[in-house]
This record gives sequence, structure tokens and C-alpha cells, in this order.
Amino acid sequence: MTKKDIIIIGAGMAGLTAAIYARRAGKSVLVLEGKIHGGQIINTLKVDNWPGDPGVSGPDLMNKIYHQVNNLGVEVEYDEVISIQKTAENGEFLVKIEDEEYSSGAIILAVGTEPRKLSEKQTKEAGKRPISYCATCDGALYKGKPVVVVGSGNTAKYEIKYLEGICSKVYHIHHDDPIPDEAVAVFAAIGRVPNTEFLKSLVKLDENGYIDAGENCETSCPGVFVAGDCRTKETRQLVTAAADGAVAANAAVQYLA
Amino acid sequence: MSVVLKDFYADWCGPCQMIKTVVEEFEELHPEIEIQRINIDDEEDLAEEYDVSSIPCLVLEKDGEEVTREVGVVTTKKLEKMLGKAK
Repeated sequence: MTKKDIIIIGAGMAGLTAAIYARRAGKSVLVLEGKIHGGQIINTLKVDNWPGDPGVSGPDLMNKIYHQVNNLGVEVEYDEVISIQKTAENGEFLVKIEDEEYSSGAIILAVGTEPRKLSEKQTKEAGKRPISYCATCDGALYKGKPVVVVGSGNTAKYEIKYLEGICSKVYHIHHDDPIPDEAVAVFAAIGRVPNTEFLKSLVKLDENGYIDAGENCETSCPGVFVAGDCRTKETRQLVTAAADGAVAANAAVQYLA
Repeated sequence: MSVVLKDFYADWCGPCQMIKTVVEEFEELHPEIEIQRINIDDEEDLAEEYDVSSIPCLVLEKDGEEVTREVGVVTTKKLEKMLGKAK
């Protein structure tokens, strides 16, 4: 079994920044990522609120950070974490993936959020029509065709505006409205949910599934820290994710001292 | 037996740019596989023929028949699993 000082779950901005800080503090670090490095920002091709590099593409920025992390000697493994347990004997953590197990002295959770799925009723109504959770990703596939956007928040408004420039007609409905027959594709923009289902026996979550922690990034379980969008907080931005990464890494290093 | 991996992408698709490195790594590991990178804006008809409704979309074919496909970001491990289905 591979043993590391710190295991970080998630390779978005928060997780990768935590990896930089933890590694530079001399710790051995493993990052586990279930999909691909980069996190949510890889869907944004023009980022205008990242200081010092206005207009930078999300993928470019995250690939740069990924290489920075690699060059520091941090391993990034692509595996979905099934469970994390704190052992009773020595307080070490066991991190289980599909066919292997890792152990570490501390954990940083940077699991992010994912789009909330369409309701069962609307999924059924959509039938064989494709359901997309990202207008800028998939909008161009429906050039000149009618589509529908589900949702009532800012993201929905943004997606409608974006799709109106591409599609012949953009229907707008709320989360409990019927899906119009005319639409050839459904764009869901009904908020995001944290990827924390597998963590509920490890740390305290709030009623929406976010990991309960203040600005010090300490969770209810000693030795487990949280960074980025999956934490209970007011402002979920790229810079606050990076900030959390630094705070969580330093806290983890202190914990191991 | 000929195995082809069709990688449907677009320049405006962020996730497509992230998996480009994954596909390139895979290409080096498996020179026996033909990789076709298909820009869906340039080849709309082909994208429609393959019923590509979301990208990135990777379609693995054996002797001209589709064996399996993955929509969304993938890792090298997943690509190996896809390839396993073609053998």
C-alpha cells in the first residue's frame, strides 16, 4: 500500500494549489482525480477575473498549474475515490479506489461541485433528446435548431443569451415545467451540487451537502481539511479556491507536525 | 483487424483541449491504433452521421463497426478499458 503524508482529493484549482503548498513544505503528496485535472473552470474559455492574466483560457491556465504541480514531484492519479476511513489504531487515513488502497496522515478534500441533474419527470419528457449541462460546450451542435433552457438563475440567463446567438429558437422553462416538443435538445442550468455523497460518514455536511468548515478549512474530523467550492462559504470563485488550497495545505502541514 | 479511435472535438470546447494530451499519450502507447481527430465545425455531416450530441466524444471502431464510445472527459485508464472491448 502506498503511503503519503497528504492525499488530496480533486485536481481543480483548490486541489492543485493545495498540492503546490504541501509539496513546497516538504511533504509527500498524492492527488486523486476522478475525471480530469482542471475542475469546473475548464469549461470557460475566457477567464477575466484571474488577476494578472485577463482573458486567459481556463484549460490553458489549468494545464499550466498541472505542469507546475508535476514538476514539483507531485503524483496525480486518475481514479475515483470510493471511500475514506480514519483508522482507530493510529489515526491514519485509508483511501479506497476501485482496485487499490492508499494511506496518509492527512486529507484535503477539494472535490468541487457538479451540475444538478434534471428531475426524473423532465428527464423522461426529454426522452431520446440530448440533455446538456453546458451551453458553451454543446450549444454549437444545435446551430439553427430550436432548444430549451431549464432554470431560473443567473446561469440560465447567461445560457439563454449565449444560445440565442446560435439557435433558431430558445425556449425558457423552469424546473417543473413541461419540456416543449419542438426543442431538439435540453440545456439544464438548475444550479450545482457538491460531490460529497461518499464523505458523509467522514465529515459533517450542511443541509445542501457542502462540507462544513470555516475560513480555516478545518472539517469536523481532525486531520481532514477542505478547500474550494465544496466548502460552506459565500464566494465561490477561482481565487477563493486557490486561497482555500493554500490555507488547507498549511493547516494539514501543521497537523502533521 | 483495424482499430480506429475517432476523437470528435471543437476549438471552443475546453474539455476537448484537456483530453487532447490524454489521447496523445494513448497514441504513443498504441501505435497500432489509428487516431482520427475530427473538428465537428469542419465536418458537421460526419458528426451528425455519428450522432454526436455532446463533446468531447470518443468513438472506438473495429473493422469499421462501432464497439464503444465515451462522452465527456476520459483518462488513459478509461481509454485502455475501451480498447479492451475491441479485443
